[in-house]
Amino acid sequence: MLRRSFLKFGFAGLAAPNLILRSAQATGQTQPGSPFIVTYFEVPEIKGSRDVTDAGDGTIWVCGQRNGVLGRFDPRTSQTKVVPLGDGAAPHGVVRGPDGAAWVTEGGQNAIARVDDKTHKVDLFKLPEGRERANLNTPVFDKAGMLWFTGQNGIVGRLDPKSGKMDIFDAPRGAGPYGMTRTPSGEIWFASLAGNYIARVNTQSGSFTVVDPPTQGQGARRVWSDSKNRIWVSEWNSGQVSSFDSESGSWKGWKLPGDKPRTYSVYVDDADKVWLTDFALNSIVRFDPLTEEFSSFPSNKPGANVRQMDGRTGEAWGGESGTNRLVRIQTVKPA
Amino acid sequence: MRAASAALVAFCVIAGGAVQAQEPVGAAIFKTCQPCHSLDPAQAGMAGPHLAKLGGRVLGSAEGFDYSPAFRAAKARGLAWDRERLLSYLADPDAVVPGGWMSPPAGVSAADRAAVTDYLLGK
Repeated sequence: MLRRSFLKFGFAGLAAPNLILRSAQATGQTQPGSPFIVTYFEVPEIKGSRDVTDAGDGTIWVCGQRNGVLGRFDPRTSQTKVVPLGDGAAPHGVVRGPDGAAWVTEGGQNAIARVDDKTHKVDLFKLPEGRERANLNTPVFDKAGMLWFTGQNGIVGRLDPKSGKMDIFDAPRGAGPYGMTRTPSGEIWFASLAGNYIARVNTQSGSFTVVDPPTQGQGARRVWSDSKNRIWVSEWNSGQVSSFDSESGSWKGWKLPGDKPRTYSVYVDDADKVWLTDFALNSIVRFDPLTEEFSSFPSNKPGANVRQMDGRTGEAWGGESGTNRLVRIQTVKPA
Repeated sequence: MRAASAALVAFCVIAGGAVQAQEPVGAAIFKTCQPCHSLDPAQAGMAGPHLAKLGGRVLGSAEGFDYSPAFRAAKARGLAWDRERLLSYLADPDAVVPGGWMSPPAGVSAADRAAVTDYLLGK
């Protein structure tokens, strides 16, 4: 069932009372009454700053899709370490592995790249012959330590980091596999943008259980699980965010603020608040499932194009792929 | 009769192989674009606009498609697709249309880009 949201900030909120902007290396300050601090960091060494993830030591990994590098940004110093991934590299997604390393879907070389978190040594695990140009997208580790990943040209892959053995499975309905997530219960789910579905992966057999969202042709782009095993879905075509309760099988959905939203990415923080990006309004949008209210954080530069978010306690992070910046939104605890 | 049938089967296999071999390289490369783009203007619900009759087409002008502000601005300037612009765009979309919504095509070489450019501009 689709439900209209209560729009707390909405369009009017784009002049947002809760919005604080900080340039490059400035540290944010809390505006009186605002629960958020927004800080932008220039990272010109990382062209096309794309997917990000917490590196576990205070730094942030970020993919430089346009110049083929992985960056490691330290917001405490505003310094960035740059790790070249190889000729023709175009990294898309990154996740921190159980071994502490960064694991990257490196579409340019059609490989999974492991970047050691201590030495920054790069190891490549190439896809097998016959799976060229897979258009690799998002990596996720399952609870057994296997790396799962999507390829938009119609594949889901599994890599055993210890042995290097890789298996590739054809996705349902062909092209489209995009975002991927792991639930607290250990299930692996992915979204298919072109296939207009989400699917659970049987991690033993490599088979799939397809679930169709209620909105036809919605363009399910990315997925993220909350703490209750609900799969949150960013719907590019419909401009909605929807949630699928993987235990009860029920759906809910909400349209983002604005006339024609384009919901690109979704990330759920450890407080179960939902962070979305809307390309139409050039905004990060926070959704509170309890109050069903949206808060908008429009970029202070046009064409920001935040394509993915991730974070850690009290901080949501994104890469502004169109401006070569990182954005951090801190949630300030009430005094 | 049996020999004739065998010859027919052999001919079909050879002919089929010939048809496969005749598929332009650009058509094969275009399959990597098809998660988001179609050559059929009637195919709705794609993440990107259709690419039919792309040669000479003004940027951002596929009817009914909801373009990014960057492409709407390019349309307003009257920029059109030609070989040089499309080649540059496929190599680095943001360099040609800053702020556009398309990511760089991954895993395609310069030769791949040239092949798919010629394929699309010939459609």
